[in-house]
Amino acid sequence: MDAAASQSFLLSIAKSLEQTPIALLVRESLWGFQITVAIHILGMILSVGTIVWMDLRLLGLGMRRVPVSVAYRQLMPWAGAGFVVMLVTGSMLLMAYASKAYENPYFRVKVVALALAGLNALVYHTTIERRIGRWDAQARPPLGARLAGLFSILLWAGVVLAGRMTAYTLY
Amino acid sequence: MLAWMQETPIAAAISQSLILNAVLSSVHLLGITLLVGSVLVSSLRLMGWAFIAWPADEVTRTTRRGTLLGMAVTIVTGLFLVSPRAVSAAANSFFQTKLALLAAAVTLHFSVYRRASAATAEWRRAPVVGAVGLLLWLGVVVSGAAFILLE
Repeated sequence: MDAAASQSFLLSIAKSLEQTPIALLVRESLWGFQITVAIHILGMILSVGTIVWMDLRLLGLGMRRVPVSVAYRQLMPWAGAGFVVMLVTGSMLLMAYASKAYENPYFRVKVVALALAGLNALVYHTTIERRIGRWDAQARPPLGARLAGLFSILLWAGVVLAGRMTAYTLY
Repeated sequence: MLAWMQETPIAAAISQSLILNAVLSSVHLLGITLLVGSVLVSSLRLMGWAFIAWPADEVTRTTRRGTLLGMAVTIVTGLFLVSPRAVSAAANSFFQTKLALLAAAVTLHFSVYRRASAATAEWRRAPVVGAVGLLLWLGVVVSGAAFILLE
């Protein structure tokens, strides 16, 4: 499949998503859009707001006396719950405005940043975290862990910024 | 004063530029995330819902700095964002609610919330203080979102 064909293929998926009942509920009902956006923001704050503190712990900038594994176990249930809320409401919003989102440059940045944040977490869990026994209680974790924390903060900030820019430029 | 705010060259520049508005709003949201995320983590500790085995002070010493930085970013960008429509915002009931809750949240943060989170020993009223603090900040977010989305 060449570039032009795959482009029109994605766009045709976007167009059909916009006709689903969920898309109509978000786009056409009285408060559907506003309520979905408000819940999306609250889910984002719960998720990104707690992930940031896990990242700051990895960077050695916060809760330095709490072992990294403890910070992870205490924060991740909240981050995970927020992520689910964010993902569900985000998918609903995307379905409602799929073809506009597809054409929006900020939304593309957001999707790439989101994918890289996921990849960063995957790399951390499969490499550096495997040896956590050796550095769990260190106030300043090893370079690999600090880099994972730094990338996570930057990428999630990128997701939030690009997400808000998308809402402003979606016509 | 609101009319003066609206007539400054900065307010005029913001009202004429969609991108400037969008950038300010994005940074505002980033500040909110840091602010409310920091309050959330320290309130979870005060309420005894997370980090129970650790002294409140150990968890909240750094989250307090996150709250302050988030507050600074949010208030500065918020003033810029509202400047082009200061007069109409002041008359909006959602915006009035937001400002009232913000005043309450800031006052609580610098008084009893600070005392509760700086305590090295467990304080009997800490859970209530933590819950009230978190609810006030969530109220600021929700009324702020209502102001933007329902006007």
